[in-house]
Amino acid sequence: MKERMKRGLTTNEMIVVYIIFALCVLIGVVNPAFAGVSTVVTLLRSMLVTLIFAAFEMLVIISGGIDVSFPAVASFSMYATAMIMNASGLDHVVIAFLIAIVIGMMFGALNSVLIVRFKIPPLIATLGVSSVANGATLSFLGSKEINRLPESFGKLSRVFIYEYAGETGITYQLTVLILIPMIICIGIWILLKFTMLGRGIYAVGGDKNAARVAGFRVTFIQSFVYVLAGGLAGVGGVTYMILMRQAHPQVLMGTEMMVIAAVVMGGTRITGGHGTILGTILGVTLIALIQNNLIMLGIPTYGQTFVVGLLIVIGTSITSLRTKRIQNSIKI
Amino acid sequence: MEKIQNRLRSSDKNSMMLFLIAVVIFLVMGILEPSSFLGIKNIQGMCTQLPEFGLIAFGMMLAMISGGIDLSLVGIANFAGIVSASIIVRMGGGGFSILAGCIAAIVVGAVCGCFNGFMIGYLQIPAMLVTLCGLQLYTGCGLMITKGPAITGLPEAYSFLGNGMILGVPVAFLIFIAAGVVVYFLLRSTIYGQHVRYMGTNSMASRYSGINNLAVTIKTYMMSGILGSLAGLIMVSRYNSAKTDYGSSYTLLSLLIVVLGGTNPDGGKGSAIGVFLSVVVLQLVSSAFNIMRVDSSLKTFVWGVILIIVIVAEQLGNKRRMRNA
Amino acid sequence: MDKTFLKLENIKKTFGGVQALKSVALEVRSGEVHCLAGENGCGKSTLIKVISGAHDPTSGEIYIEGKKIDKLTPIDSIQKGIQVIYQDFAVFPNLTVAENIAMNHALMTGTKVMNWKKSREIALKAMEQIGAHMDPDVLVERLSVANKQMVAICRAIINDAKLLILDEPTTALTQKEVSRLNMIIRGLKEKGMAIVIVNHKLDEIYDIADRLTILRNGENVASGPIEEFDRKRFIKCMTGREVEEVYYRPEANKEEILKVEHLTRKGAFEDVSFTLNKGEVLGITGLLGSGRGELGDALFGIAPAVAGKIILNGKEVTIKSIGDAMKCNIAYVPEDRLTQGLFLDCSIQENTVAASISRYMEKGGLNYKKMYEVTAKWIQKIGCNAKSPKPLIRTLSGGNAQKMVIAKWLNTDPDLLILNGPTVGVDIGSKSDIHKILRELAVQGVGIIVISDDISELIQNCSKILIMKNGKASGSINSRELDEIKLARMLTSEEVTA
Repeated sequence: MKERMKRGLTTNEMIVVYIIFALCVLIGVVNPAFAGVSTVVTLLRSMLVTLIFAAFEMLVIISGGIDVSFPAVASFSMYATAMIMNASGLDHVVIAFLIAIVIGMMFGALNSVLIVRFKIPPLIATLGVSSVANGATLSFLGSKEINRLPESFGKLSRVFIYEYAGETGITYQLTVLILIPMIICIGIWILLKFTMLGRGIYAVGGDKNAARVAGFRVTFIQSFVYVLAGGLAGVGGVTYMILMRQAHPQVLMGTEMMVIAAVVMGGTRITGGHGTILGTILGVTLIALIQNNLIMLGIPTYGQTFVVGLLIVIGTSITSLRTKRIQNSIKI
Repeated sequence: MEKIQNRLRSSDKNSMMLFLIAVVIFLVMGILEPSSFLGIKNIQGMCTQLPEFGLIAFGMMLAMISGGIDLSLVGIANFAGIVSASIIVRMGGGGFSILAGCIAAIVVGAVCGCFNGFMIGYLQIPAMLVTLCGLQLYTGCGLMITKGPAITGLPEAYSFLGNGMILGVPVAFLIFIAAGVVVYFLLRSTIYGQHVRYMGTNSMASRYSGINNLAVTIKTYMMSGILGSLAGLIMVSRYNSAKTDYGSSYTLLSLLIVVLGGTNPDGGKGSAIGVFLSVVVLQLVSSAFNIMRVDSSLKTFVWGVILIIVIVAEQLGNKRRMRNA
Repeated sequence: MDKTFLKLENIKKTFGGVQALKSVALEVRSGEVHCLAGENGCGKSTLIKVISGAHDPTSGEIYIEGKKIDKLTPIDSIQKGIQVIYQDFAVFPNLTVAENIAMNHALMTGTKVMNWKKSREIALKAMEQIGAHMDPDVLVERLSVANKQMVAICRAIINDAKLLILDEPTTALTQKEVSRLNMIIRGLKEKGMAIVIVNHKLDEIYDIADRLTILRNGENVASGPIEEFDRKRFIKCMTGREVEEVYYRPEANKEEILKVEHLTRKGAFEDVSFTLNKGEVLGITGLLGSGRGELGDALFGIAPAVAGKIILNGKEVTIKSIGDAMKCNIAYVPEDRLTQGLFLDCSIQENTVAASISRYMEKGGLNYKKMYEVTAKWIQKIGCNAKSPKPLIRTLSGGNAQKMVIAKWLNTDPDLLILNGPTVGVDIGSKSDIHKILRELAVQGVGIIVISDDISELIQNCSKILIMKNGKASGSINSRELDEIKLARMLTSEEVTA
């Protein structure tokens, strides 16, 4: 029992929890204003889109691959959706999401064909697709931001599930969009934990050959993961558009770095086979916390890239070293 | 006669193909747009543009042969460029300051590379993760110095590196050729070159063959960092300013070049000649685009398409070879 | 009880013109342990793949329980009760024991939902059946090799398996674990299961098998009850030729090559001392986990010793890294040829010069021509069956590849050559070639240490044998005083007797 408790307290998730806690205390000491509902609301808002990306990126990494094309795919879906909606006069959020999902899934299918069918290393394949998607957005769709969006978008962005009036009179509002990542996370949790398909994703990431011998449909599982990732990238793109009330062809580019770092810090092994949705949520929380509060700690804006980079290097080193230690530990 | 045939057969097929492609582009463009494409201006222009990503591609190739990848090269290039620019500006812009700036940049490249190599070789963290984080870290380092805006006010003399000519040949191109020759000799005629290939093929077996993997890894990434810093120097000189977001498309471009040049993404194989030829081909394509006034973002699209097609073709070729063997 | 479960007749299989199976017949009865033996490349693995449905035979008939099967797919095969445990077990390191065991069941039933409670129950029941005790919630990556195998066996038997095929199940097991495995196999046999074991270690076959089938070059050479085979016939059937068993017993020589005193690395081996004189071949043996391999690793600086003295040719040396060891002219043929010994995607030439590349550094760069010539010389000298130094080394058979690994080290002109499992997975023909090379080297004055668990290999080739047990070593025993039975007994006995 003691052994089990010890194991429970030293899991990857718990370590991230400790770090988050320590960081909160540190920020709270420097700036007492930190401890408040407002912080939580701001934090949730800034995590929103990243969490969507991180959730499916985790799936891809568990299956033993990687996807760096999602920012470009999300941008393409976002921009194309905005254009289609504006051109056709359709004005419904659900339709927007559907369009984006379909577009995203097409890119996901392209990824999966390259990786699963042609056995191209995932990093290189998705980099190529990223370039295709980004280039296509800019040269075929447009390079200017679209500010005129269907009204239903604006309406949705003004629906809040929680409002809080701060002492200074500023009201903090938690958008209803936060439900999207929540649903996705719960969905992925169920998928991974309670379906054979989910266990198959772990199995493929653990040992592809063994999975084939055991009778998993490896090709299907891998394709499923990339197509799902594409579809969810579309969701992420539209969510971002509604949240920011603007479609921008470039703004998401470069976020893959943060997302992968968050996933890895949450205990997902970059080599595949391990990872939990809880860990990923915690990893995203940690990175959002750092990014949001560096100013409170007195670090100037221009220094943030460096500090975040440093923290990511340290964080990923720690998780990698822990993995190595587990692998080298005495076998029972 | 037979000897020549044998030599042709044994010589790198990939390089041959690239060479042919280059010739074809030359011919086609020469017929379509003889005045603008074959003009000395255009050729000089191409030779000025290609060293930046060409140098980065050589760095990427080394990392890939060793069985890794270096996604931090653009970060290193900008960081090194910023360091040199700020040193030059602070020291007043004299000849000595330019020399000091260049040396400092190379040192920065070497140090960043060593750091990458240490994390990959000693801590055994996957190269992709290390260099992805490294990109953020080095970009952050650069930002700490510039605090956001570009560093300007570089002396006129400094632009010689990026825009100057010696006997009508751009200086940057000479640097690129020199670097290429060095890399060629490193791979072909040094013990390190053999070791890095062995390590890329099977790192465990190379360790058991007495090869010091850590040293080889650190050397590889250091070399790659230095090549990155040279690219950084040329970029700063060409734009006459230093900033953290120059050359952001070069990571993908260099990957494309390296793969196109016949480097095995899984490590162990790669040739400097192949990469050189593929740099030339890419520059020709790019230049042809410019002359035909194709939008630059369309280039990104085309690069991606070419990368995918090349790798798919290669994989299919491999499969056929496997079946025949 | 005498019921035929599986019958193969005249099975042929060609891969693009290469005949892997020329004509194979096999009959396996329920309730028997049938051993399948043969050298590497004899078609054993192809045959297993035919039985498991992974390969379609080009021609031939398959009968399962008397019924003729027209086409056997992997799923069919499993549903008919055939289960294969591969050498690498094909378990998932990242999943728990329970999940690994119950996975197949869930896949068989085609369920879409993962039932954790039920998979735990299935796992516990399966473990009870074979008498294994493991925490069902622990991740398989934390298990030892033997326990991973237990997981694989549990997984195989849950679906009412009627035929269990084990592909070289004992290669990575300690003696104790082998006897435990044999016990489990006997238990399954009692229950009426048919069991096929692929193995070519004769002593282990005698322990467990009822009947034996030997393949050579894709053909049956012999099949029958185990009693019909003695050692001589077995070897003849395997190799197709009479391999004479030579014993290497050199004259005593006082000249010391290597002296090791009180060598210690905590947790691996402790206080190990021995000497190696000129002309001798020293055998180091012990069960898996006894520290025999670790001792070799320490002498080559892979995991260096922390205390003790190493005296090489009269000079004390410190070996803290592989580089140190190579400076002392020590060479090491590692245990795992595929991952540690070979660069599969490199040519034979590149493999041969991998450890001695600095010798070819001349003024104008590396001398590739010299490398080629040296490799050609080695291919000839060491009796490797390769046409030229240019082809990829992966095109060579295990035995030939191992010869080139040895050539790689001989090319460094070593004073001391350590071989860890020199003939694991090597066919008997190449095996005797390698042994001959080792003896010749010893006569020439190269110190040879053979680390092995192959008793007949040790008795035949080593003039002195050191037995390790739990990290401690016996004094070295002159092999004139030993025979195979005596050595086997000493290996398994609890006491270290000098």
